[in-house]
Amino acid sequence: MSTSLHQNVTLTPRGFTRRSFLHTVSAGAAAAGMLTFRDLMSLQADELRRQGRAIILLWMNGGPSQLETFDPKPGTDNGGPTQAIETNVPGIHIAEHWEKTARIANELTFIRSMTNKEGNHQRATYQLHTGYVPSGSVKHPSLAANLARQLEDAEFDLPSVVSVGRPMPGASAGYLGLDYEPFVVDRAGQLPQDVAVRVNEDRYARRLKLLGRVEDGFAREGAAAVVESHQKLYGKAARMVLSSNIGAFQFDNEPADVRAAYGESEFGRGCLLARRLVETGVTFVEVISRNWDTHDDNFNRSAQLSRGVDPGMAALISDLRQRGLLDKTLVVWMGEFGRTPRINPRTGRDHFPRAFSAVMAGAGVKGGQVIGKTSADGNAVVDQPVNVGDLFASICHALRVDPASETISPLGRPMKIVEEGTIVPGLFA
Amino acid sequence: MHDSLGVRWVVGLFAGVVWSWSCVGHTLSAGEPQPSQVVAAQVDELVSAELARRGETLAPPVSDEEFLRRAMLDLSGVPPTVSQVVAFSLEPGSDKRVELIRRQLQSEEYARNWARYWRDVIYSRATDARTTRFQGVFERWMTEQLRDGRHWNDIVTELITATGDAQENGATALLVAHGGNAQEIAAETSRIFLGIQIQCANCHDHPTDQWKRADFHELAAYFPRVVFRQVMDGDRRTFEVSSMAPTPARFAGQMANRGVDPERLLRGLDRNGDGKITREEAAGSPLAAAFERFLAIGDKDGDNALSADEIKALPTMPMPQFPGRGSPEYLMPDLNDPSSRGTRVDPVFFVSKSKAPAELGDIERRYLLASEIVDPSNEWFARAYVNRIWTELIGAGFYMPIDDIGPERTAEFAAVLDLLADQFVAHDHDMRWLFETLAQTGIYQRSLRAGTSAGFAASIPVRLRGDAVYEALARALGFEADQNSGFGLRQPGNFRGTRLPRGQVTQTFGFDPSTPQDDLTGTIPQALFLMNSPIVEQAIQAEGRGVLARVLRRFSKDEDVVRELYLTVLSREPSAEETSTARNYLAEVSDRNEAFEDLYWALLNSSEFLNRR
Repeated sequence: MSTSLHQNVTLTPRGFTRRSFLHTVSAGAAAAGMLTFRDLMSLQADELRRQGRAIILLWMNGGPSQLETFDPKPGTDNGGPTQAIETNVPGIHIAEHWEKTARIANELTFIRSMTNKEGNHQRATYQLHTGYVPSGSVKHPSLAANLARQLEDAEFDLPSVVSVGRPMPGASAGYLGLDYEPFVVDRAGQLPQDVAVRVNEDRYARRLKLLGRVEDGFAREGAAAVVESHQKLYGKAARMVLSSNIGAFQFDNEPADVRAAYGESEFGRGCLLARRLVETGVTFVEVISRNWDTHDDNFNRSAQLSRGVDPGMAALISDLRQRGLLDKTLVVWMGEFGRTPRINPRTGRDHFPRAFSAVMAGAGVKGGQVIGKTSADGNAVVDQPVNVGDLFASICHALRVDPASETISPLGRPMKIVEEGTIVPGLFA
Repeated sequence: MHDSLGVRWVVGLFAGVVWSWSCVGHTLSAGEPQPSQVVAAQVDELVSAELARRGETLAPPVSDEEFLRRAMLDLSGVPPTVSQVVAFSLEPGSDKRVELIRRQLQSEEYARNWARYWRDVIYSRATDARTTRFQGVFERWMTEQLRDGRHWNDIVTELITATGDAQENGATALLVAHGGNAQEIAAETSRIFLGIQIQCANCHDHPTDQWKRADFHELAAYFPRVVFRQVMDGDRRTFEVSSMAPTPARFAGQMANRGVDPERLLRGLDRNGDGKITREEAAGSPLAAAFERFLAIGDKDGDNALSADEIKALPTMPMPQFPGRGSPEYLMPDLNDPSSRGTRVDPVFFVSKSKAPAELGDIERRYLLASEIVDPSNEWFARAYVNRIWTELIGAGFYMPIDDIGPERTAEFAAVLDLLADQFVAHDHDMRWLFETLAQTGIYQRSLRAGTSAGFAASIPVRLRGDAVYEALARALGFEADQNSGFGLRQPGNFRGTRLPRGQVTQTFGFDPSTPQDDLTGTIPQALFLMNSPIVEQAIQAEGRGVLARVLRRFSKDEDVVRELYLTVLSREPSAEETSTARNYLAEVSDRNEAFEDLYWALLNSSEFLNRR
């Protein structure tokens, strides 16, 4: 009963109408014969609240310098040559390379008090994707997999987790299995590898039918379970390949000015793809910007990297707003750690997990504010420290997922989505 | 106190060494070693009795062709060619299956297949992602060990005690994969070699298991002096495993101070009985690290070997006055105060409860642990290996998952496991012997059976690992090795043709071999690759140089073409029903070439292709 209602309601993942909703409920209630509208409402309250929630992670691989992004310290020794610019929110200044993002600061919360202990790329990246430090004994599911498991619509025919670019350590679904593995898109804007059908669709359907018949013998002889799960997988893959939603991967019908706004870069195209996928019903999209590991020549490199990310990030958030998607889509900008405030002899900055920045927008996050503060020299968090658990608990909250809900690891150990963490106070409107 | 422990250590250590090199002085509780066919028959008796007790019977034996594909894929990781299938079916003789098993076990493919298996066991759980590029180094090293027929106890000893450049010494894999981290190495050592998931006790006492948090940390205390660091060698960046304390001097001092009897040491290592220890004989022993130094000081007659007298005359080095100083000890984290320094813990092996004296250096600690682990009195070692290999061959384990066998677990068909583990020890952990035995059993050679069968009564399909999928695809699509290129195979005569990229296929189809079969349901990219990739689509064309084109040129009758396709892709002939399914399809589709391409496609995309039945 409840399932059928849920599926009916999720038929149009981004915005069912009141009418279709009422219609659905009355049909469902009639079928049940006894439940009132209110009963159904409370039964489904959780799921309804989550309807259409999604998250886009903008991942700055290598560890972006907080001083060259969202926590500049101009005029100090540690600040280096990086200047700060005003944003459209009085009193909030960010680094000079983020002009477009500065104009939408009213949508953003800048967290300047991220703090962690992992200073190794792989381990920190894993931790910032799973909430756990790596361990040989269990492959933790990514936060994305956990969220997708809670939020996905079972009838949806595209993957619920998509990674634009080679997935990061920790981005795997771990023990949650294949339904939540990130689907990898190598080049945003084009159909992903092996998705394009090589023969016409009639022949494709014919082949799939023949495959079913070829499998019959093996199933009857004693491999029924193997054949069944294989067919389920092929059903899923074929549904995706033949899906009317598959066009979301291609930009053919996207106006030139929209494409231009996102920027002619891999990252910009990734952001546009993320918007299209979320609009179609994908739960989690990660867009990766690489090479932020600026041990040398930090200022030139960070400036260039920032200018590559700025247009895509700003366009994404404005576009989501314009399309009415930002209320239910969370956008998170972060990397695995920050960089040392002290400038090294190669005008670089090294790994620094003690105090760094992250940015959030949408899904109820209050716009136009700064949370937390670092000391004048940037070496320490002096106000409202936010650790990885707190950040993850807040992400869960934005998506209406209980951070304490558990999955069972293969060894039978219950694992919470977030082991420990409190929602960042003041983050949400 | 320290002294008596030390003596016990030295004696224990050399007992271990002596035992693993020459089987002298070991105290086996196991029975006498029996030939593989005898043990195989005993296994079948036990299995049948247990099945009868459950009201179940063993499924009938498999056909020759089915056995051929199964045994070749399981033992060597490659499917048979069409001509091998035909030849094997026609081959007379009742011993042909045993002979096939033995041939496989002597093949290079066997060594490579199981080297890749262990590569995946170790590296699938790597916690230092930078090190996965050394997988090939391990694969090559492990291939050599398997080719040379080295035994499991010796291999494990090397894996635990290895030092050196990750790029050069594949035996460092386990240590390298975890960046030298003592806790991870301890957890994986226990999981892989003992089947005990003691790392669950890392943070808390396990509610049911007998081993507690301290036991895990005492195991980790064997590894705190492993040093793992990045080394720049010109432009080459590599990693090195070394020891914190300079071991040769310490070892010399300890040996002398503990009154090690040179005669005993000699007996243990002198394999050819010439009264001297050479570099080769010392290799892999605790003496190895110090050998060159000993030789430089002690080789009075200059024969590049050490006699008992020369060992006796070695100058001794006094023990350091403060044991452990200058080399860190293992610190167990304080759960209530994670940022504190933690409590010092000294090494104790949780199974035997034997302790290692705190003053031991890195290599000695690790050697001592290895000798405890491979000691026949530690039943977990043989049981973990037997359970793993049985599961891979039979499709289900005595214990599942494969790497979680105790202590509070109950084995299915426990008597069979007892027998096999016992005999595996009696055969001095000879891996080939175990394969030969298992592959000869009736239970291994049983067939599939419709419906559900209790226990292992009927054959259970086993999913091919990434490398086997690659080999199977290469054969099914007619790709052949290109002498000039390591980048993948191409179709013969098609010099501009697409290669079959090994990396892509093994990555797409690979998985952690410790994953239970039931969880191996395939992935979307796997399905997409076989369904839609240009490589596959191009290779199945009816025109050109591909397999189907050749078959169509050679055979005119539809049934013959169908038969060839089944043999090529699934290494077996089609059943009458399958032939008629194919014939019906040909009748439905007007274009004959298209119809055969579709059949070829369907066979490649079938679950049978990705499993061995």
